[in-house]
Amino acid sequence: MHRFVRPQLMLRDSKQPLLPRAGHLCTNHKSVVSSVRGYVVLPPTSDEEEKAMLHRMMRVDHAGEYGANRIYAGQMAVLGRTQISPLIQEMWDQEKQHLRKFNEILAENRVRPTLLLPLWNIAGFALGAGSALLGKEGAMACTVAVEESISEHYNSQIRTLMEKDPEKYTELLQLIKEFRDDEMEHHDTGLEHDAESVPGYQLMKAIIQVGCKAAIYISERL
Amino acid sequence: MAALIRGLRAGRALRGLGGVAVQGTVSLQCSNVRRGFHRAALLRLASDSKSDTSVPPPSYHEVHTAGESSSSSAQGESSEDAQPNTSFQDQSGEHGEDYETEEQLQARILTAALEFVPQHGWTVEAIAAAAETLGLSSASTGMFNNGAGDLVLHFVAQCNAQLAETLAEQNNQVQLGQAEAKKTAEFLKDAVETRLRMLIPYIDTWPQAMSILLLPHNIPDSLKHLSTMVDDIWYYAGDRSTDVNWYTRRAALTGIYNTTELVMVQDSSPDFEETWAFLDNRIKDVVNMANTAKQVQATGEAVVQGLMGAAITLKNLTGMNQRR
Repeated sequence: MHRFVRPQLMLRDSKQPLLPRAGHLCTNHKSVVSSVRGYVVLPPTSDEEEKAMLHRMMRVDHAGEYGANRIYAGQMAVLGRTQISPLIQEMWDQEKQHLRKFNEILAENRVRPTLLLPLWNIAGFALGAGSALLGKEGAMACTVAVEESISEHYNSQIRTLMEKDPEKYTELLQLIKEFRDDEMEHHDTGLEHDAESVPGYQLMKAIIQVGCKAAIYISERL
Repeated sequence: MAALIRGLRAGRALRGLGGVAVQGTVSLQCSNVRRGFHRAALLRLASDSKSDTSVPPPSYHEVHTAGESSSSSAQGESSEDAQPNTSFQDQSGEHGEDYETEEQLQARILTAALEFVPQHGWTVEAIAAAAETLGLSSASTGMFNNGAGDLVLHFVAQCNAQLAETLAEQNNQVQLGQAEAKKTAEFLKDAVETRLRMLIPYIDTWPQAMSILLLPHNIPDSLKHLSTMVDDIWYYAGDRSTDVNWYTRRAALTGIYNTTELVMVQDSSPDFEETWAFLDNRIKDVVNMANTAKQVQATGEAVVQGLMGAAITLKNLTGMNQRR
């Protein structure tokens, strides 16, 4: 996607000079409301350590949503013509929304994306396509495993932020909670659609979850 | 390249000389002189310091040490709990208005030292000369553990800060509609040229500075400065990418900047015309490569679509394309 923008055309309050750091300079023709928020998700901070921690969190979340996107893309590539396809498409659209949100946050706060994005691109697609080859139940099982990992990850982030300072991180906590709820919904949907009936469900789930944990670990550091 | 190697050797020789000379003068009273100087520097600026040596609140010490730079003389200072604190600070931990932190003092000395670089090169002699003009003892070079490295890194940080300020100002102008937005290639060229022009006053001794930046213990810092600068330039150029382009763009600009810097140190044309021409060509190369990559991708996608179409046609013909 062409992410090149000219730092111009910020039609905010007329004469107010817009410091790039505070403003959102993306002219992605979406609703202007999202780019002229009255609040920012990451609280501005001058403490280097805190900034590093927040950037790390956003980096790994961005990588996670990117990976989830690719997983659903892989699933759709295989099961796109079946009865389950509208459901997968719906879940995929929600993930796309999450990814868009994290792209915004990364751009606004000048967070470095993880170096391993091309790897997650391929790995995610392969996982989605591979699990979908096991049929609809396989795809659902993969969804259940991945969404469970992601929810756990978001929960631990919520815990960390709550322990530090719930007041300061209100918007961020709200965002992560919202996304975690979406992921739990996907998880439950997967279970509803016979995820557990795939042969080798437990083994498959365990392997996928180990993979997710490893991916999260690496993306936090790289 | 040869110039760089010569500079590297010269830098190493000078550094060795500088180290011996400084150690000769400082070795005898080493840490005492440092501490004495440190306190003298504080006393010079702080008023009523003697009267405030009564027991300071315990939190002050943490604040004081937290505010110190990471130089070992500061740590030596802070670890001596028995020594009285000589700077004025009230209960709230606020400093008096004319209190200068060690960091600020170091910055002042290093900025002044830049004047003496054409004469002494990037060495502790320049720092010593600067300290003397500021009315301090030349032994205050002991404050700088990294010697010439501190001076070079300070200069680089200063240049980068100036560049960021200039870019922010330009961006402001564009936002307010007072200036036209530049195209990416032109913006990059102007930004790199602005930054490299800051080297012109020191261009004769710059190979020495570059070799100092390449010393192993300076590499983390110099890399950090370089990457922050490149990130700043791309940010103000409008890059908001969050994929692998983030890395490829910064890598490309780093390459351009480094090679142009090398060309600049051996350029003898009037006002460094050859350097700017070189820079222009390198940026054109990168833009060309980016365009070519886009074209290749577009072609690839078209080819894939063609193949998919052929496959689907085949499936239709053989009757395999049924809805499950």
